[in-house]
This record gives sequence, structure tokens and C-alpha cells, in this order.
Amino acid sequence: MLAMLIQGGAALVTLSSPGGPWRAVLDLAGGPLPFAVRIERRDGGWQGVLCNGVKCQPFSKVRVAGDSVVLENADYAATMTAVLRGDSLVGYYNNIGSNGPRTIPFRAARGRWPMTRAPASLVGRWDATYFQDLGTSPRVLEFRNGSAGIEGTLISSTSDYGPFSGTASSDSFAIGYFDGSFVYLLTGRLKGDTLRGIFHAGLRTQTRWQAVRSTGASHLTPPTEITSADTAEPFRFRFPDLQGRMVGNDDPRFRGKVVLVDIFGTWCPTCHEGMPGLIDLYRRYHSRGLEFVGLAFEVTGDTAVDAPLVRRYRDKFRIPFPLLLAGTNDVEGIEAALPQLRGAGAFPTLVFLGRDGRVRRVHAGFHGLAAGDQHQRQVREFEREIEKLLKEKREQ
Amino acid sequence: MRALVFAVASLFPPAMGLVAQSRDAVARERSDFLSWLTTAANSPLAAVARHPVGAALRLGPPDADIPLSGIGEHRILAKGRTLVLETPSGSRPVSRDRPIGLGSYTLYLTGPAPGTALTVFGQDKRKAPPGYHEYDPTLVFSGPLLPPGRPGKTRVLAANGTETEATEAGSIVLNLGAPARLRVLRIASGGEESELEIFFRDQSNGQGTYPAGRFVSLIPLPNGHYRLDFNRARNPFCAYSAVYPCPAPWRGNVIAVSIRAGERYSGGGLQAPPAGPEVK
Repeated sequence: MLAMLIQGGAALVTLSSPGGPWRAVLDLAGGPLPFAVRIERRDGGWQGVLCNGVKCQPFSKVRVAGDSVVLENADYAATMTAVLRGDSLVGYYNNIGSNGPRTIPFRAARGRWPMTRAPASLVGRWDATYFQDLGTSPRVLEFRNGSAGIEGTLISSTSDYGPFSGTASSDSFAIGYFDGSFVYLLTGRLKGDTLRGIFHAGLRTQTRWQAVRSTGASHLTPPTEITSADTAEPFRFRFPDLQGRMVGNDDPRFRGKVVLVDIFGTWCPTCHEGMPGLIDLYRRYHSRGLEFVGLAFEVTGDTAVDAPLVRRYRDKFRIPFPLLLAGTNDVEGIEAALPQLRGAGAFPTLVFLGRDGRVRRVHAGFHGLAAGDQHQRQVREFEREIEKLLKEKREQ
Repeated sequence: MRALVFAVASLFPPAMGLVAQSRDAVARERSDFLSWLTTAANSPLAAVARHPVGAALRLGPPDADIPLSGIGEHRILAKGRTLVLETPSGSRPVSRDRPIGLGSYTLYLTGPAPGTALTVFGQDKRKAPPGYHEYDPTLVFSGPLLPPGRPGKTRVLAANGTETEATEAGSIVLNLGAPARLRVLRIASGGEESELEIFFRDQSNGQGTYPAGRFVSLIPLPNGHYRLDFNRARNPFCAYSAVYPCPAPWRGNVIAVSIRAGERYSGGGLQAPPAGPEVK
């Protein structure tokens, strides 16, 4: 009887529109990764966004045909294809890598996730240890309550993994981050004063971890100890700008100045997040002798493809300093372009040059706003370093 | 009725049951993979040549390492970990796992130094993918992953023929008439992700399945055990094109019965390489 009613109920609402908010999950092997989708009709077509907590990004295309709904994210060659049945969407997420497609079950129900708050026993900063096959590696976890309920950040020595959101109870939590490409779920339970859980990446990679309350002592490898540089000589770079003119470290605009070299990529979400802060530093210190240059390491290394992306990035943030097309976004690409760096590979990386053009500091990675205190500390460190370098005497 | 419809409609669609999820998920994975095989520029069915880069690799002229019709002399040079493409009009650094257009061909460099290889993909008509056996629910197993006797790293050829570093992850024991102990390696699959892989041989090899053996990944279960679903067994890329090197069988991973599940193979004449060192 119930089955008939359900069938009847579903039939009554099958013709409904996919428009509106959806609470969604990817069904990973270790449990559901929660996120949200919002679809709306606009200008005769469909548009949509994918949200983690309050942070949303648009799908590049939303296609609706009959009961089929396809949400596309062209940046990551990713699609979510689902069948609309009344008030549910059931289907698969799929993205294409160089060894073939990655497929993960996807489902959603109409409405918004109920807001759950992190208990006081969880809120704050934790020093975590990942247990891998042949050893351990450090991470930092931060939990807080935002306008959408529990929020979390997972921080490695070089970056954070994006804004996590999800659900919590008195002693456990499940928070996720899914941006169309990265598929992360962090689950854990508090027992006594120790948090234990699993970090899930993609459909079936699972890493055990445990954490204790941070003591305040440094737990991660400091970002200044990841990438090193040849400091015996001025830091050399010479690449085309967006008009095709070659710009190098010996350009008059950099002579005798403190220069921050921003190694970035338009494909890198953390770089997008960090750029407003860099522009703020530029505006505050430029008149005192600070210059910036951005070195773009893009996906193809083909100017015809990369230059429009970097131009769009410049226009998006109204970046007031030169952006140069430096190479491709892998370790080999960076090493080929900047042979004076060793161990480079984190995006973004900020290289601080003194007025003599030599490297004073290399800061690998960036802790975004989601990293809370870590972010604030990082901004203060940048300010201190810039102040210190600006006070150095000009080379005669 | 209206109230009931509302109540039903507000339910979250349930996760599919484990068996249904396996069967449906396998069907979807197969469909996605077949679509990739038949359409992607870098599908192994479109591979026309492959060669280790070494210190330098010539391509184009008839006497080059890789002759390519209608293409002038090009070279790939390995300078440390950096790769450079020399063309008649200049040279530029090139990246691994990125398409490099060259006339009607697409090039891909894969694998870390010193084992980096260049694969050339063409636009010729592709042969049909080999297809799959019917889904067989009796060939789905679960059990614990037993710790490795000797933890450590090794180098193997992954399914795509690329030499890669793998970590000993342990072994899984199945009862298939006789006990079979299968060695499991963790192979990185990009970013934070990796797969627990088994490269196995069975008595169907050469009689409907690929002679050199097949790969299958373990799926973690909530209870700490793992599911081994032979319906997900897949061919190494050497089954699609002879340009790919075939992985040598992994020590001990021979199953005494036929596993007629997963990806098929109908080509003939190929002999499995002998068991031996994992990387030739």
C-alpha cells in the first residue's frame, strides 16, 4: 500500500521543475559528502550554483531535458547527470582525467540542509596526525560556527583544503568540501580529549587520523621552510606580459624596490582567494617602494589559451601590477622557468625580494580566510616582512 | 492525499543498497569508460606509438625514434626533470599529462623521470572496445586487508603502462574453491587520491579475458573491511594497443579458477610475459 502511494505521489510531482535549492550528497565508499545545489530559471534557460556552506560557485552550464538534469563544470571537465523524480535527483558525478573517467554516485533532495552547530567541545584548533602506509604527516583542523552552522578547515603545511561544511552532533561530525573537482570528506568522533576519524578523498581513498587540542606550538612545517632559493645572486625572471612585451627582474620599475613575486595560476582557487589581500598590500606599501609581479603558471603553456585566462583573472580583481606568462603549472614547469628555486610546487608561492633583488623569503602556499587565525597570522607575517625589507638601504 | 504526497516528496532519496549500488555503479562506470575509450583524444584505442623519452627522443622523419607521416623533425629533450620540445621554429618546456598538438597527432608525456614515456595518439578509425562479461553477483567478496609482511615501496607498471612507485598495502584472502592470497599495492591516482590495486591472473586468461592479467581495485567498507568486485576487473592499456608495455604479473597473484567477470578480451596470439621483476 505504501509503495503504491509513494509511486502515486512520485507520479504526481514528476513534472515539477528542477528549480530551487537542493541538499545533495556524493556517496563515497566511506559515507555521504554533503553539499548544496541551487538551480534557477533565468533568461529562458537554466543556471545553477554549487555551494559548500555559504560559499557558492556557478556551474558553467545547466541542461534540463524532460526528467534529465545535467550540471556541468567545464573548468574540471566534470558533470553531474541526474534523473528528476518528484523531489529527488539521483545520478552520477563524473569527471575525466588523463587515465579515464572518475564516477561517483550523486543524489539530492529539495530544500536546504538543516543547520547544525559544532558543539563547544569541538570548536577550536586541533593538531592532527595522518596515518599513511609508511609514516605520518601533520595537519591542522579548525572548527567553528558560521551563519550556515558548523564550518571547518583542514590545513596542510602548504595550504588549506577549502571551506568544509556539514553536520555535527555532541561528539561526532561529518564535513565535506566538493568544488566539482576536489572531493573531500572529513569524519570524526571525539572520545575523551582525542578526536579520531577518517579523511576521505575521491570515491574510495581513506586515511585515518587522530588529533589533540593545539597547544599553540608549531605543528606544521613552516611555509618558509618548504621552498628554498639561491640567495647568492639576484632572483632572475624574464617572461612576456599580456601584451607580449618581455618583462624581467632588471626592468627599471623593479630596480631598488622591494619586490613580491606571486607565483600563481588562474586554475588555482587558493590563488583567487589570496589575490584581494595581495592587492591590499600593494596599495598600502607601493608608495613606499613595494612592487609586485605575478608569474602565471597555466595549464597548457600555450599563449593563445593561457593569455585570455590570465587577462580575465587580471580584470576580475583589477590587478594593478604586471602579470607575466611564465610557464606550465607543474614542478617541471616551475623549475624550468625559475631555476633558482628548489622545492617549488605550492600554489600560490610568494617570493620576497630585497632592494638588491635577492631572495629574502619564500612563502609556500596560502592559508585563506577559511583558515581563520592561521590566515590572520600569515597576513601579519607578510606585513612584518615587507616593513623590514622596505627599511633596508637601497643598493647604490 | 495532498499531505501524504508532501511527506513522501520531502524524503531524501536513499543511498542505493550495497548490491544495487554495486550493479548500478558498475554499469555506470562501464558506460563512462566505454564512452571515454571511444571518444577521448588520449584513449588508448587511439594510441599509435609510444617510446621512452630517455635523454632525448626524435620524432617525425622516417629514421626517427617515432616516425610520423607529414611531420618534420621534432625532439623531446629531458633536462633533469624538465622536458623540452624542440620544433623547427624553436623550443619550449612541455608538461606531463597535458595534450601537445602536433599536426593531426596529439602527444602525451606520462610518468616521472627517469621513466617518462611519450605516447602519440592519432585520428585513425578506432577498433571497438572489448566489452564486458555479464554482471556476476557471486564474484563480489569482502574481507579484511591483512598487513603487508614487508612494508615498503616498489616500482611497478600501472594499468596505463606507466612506471610508478607503489606502496605495499597488504593482502586479501579469498576462498574460490581453494584459498587465494592476493597482494595489494597502493598506487597514487592524483592529488590526495590513490587506489588499492590488485593485478591478478586467472584461468580464464587467454580464453575470453586478457592473457597478461587484469587489474581490480579494492573498495573500502564501513566496517573496515574491503569489497573485491571482480565485475570491476579491467584490462591494462596494452590490451587496447600494442604500443603500451604490459605489466609483468605480480608475484603470487594467480587464481586457480576462471574469473569470467569484468572486462573481456577477444584478441588472440598474445602471450603473457613471464613472472619476474615488476619493472622490465
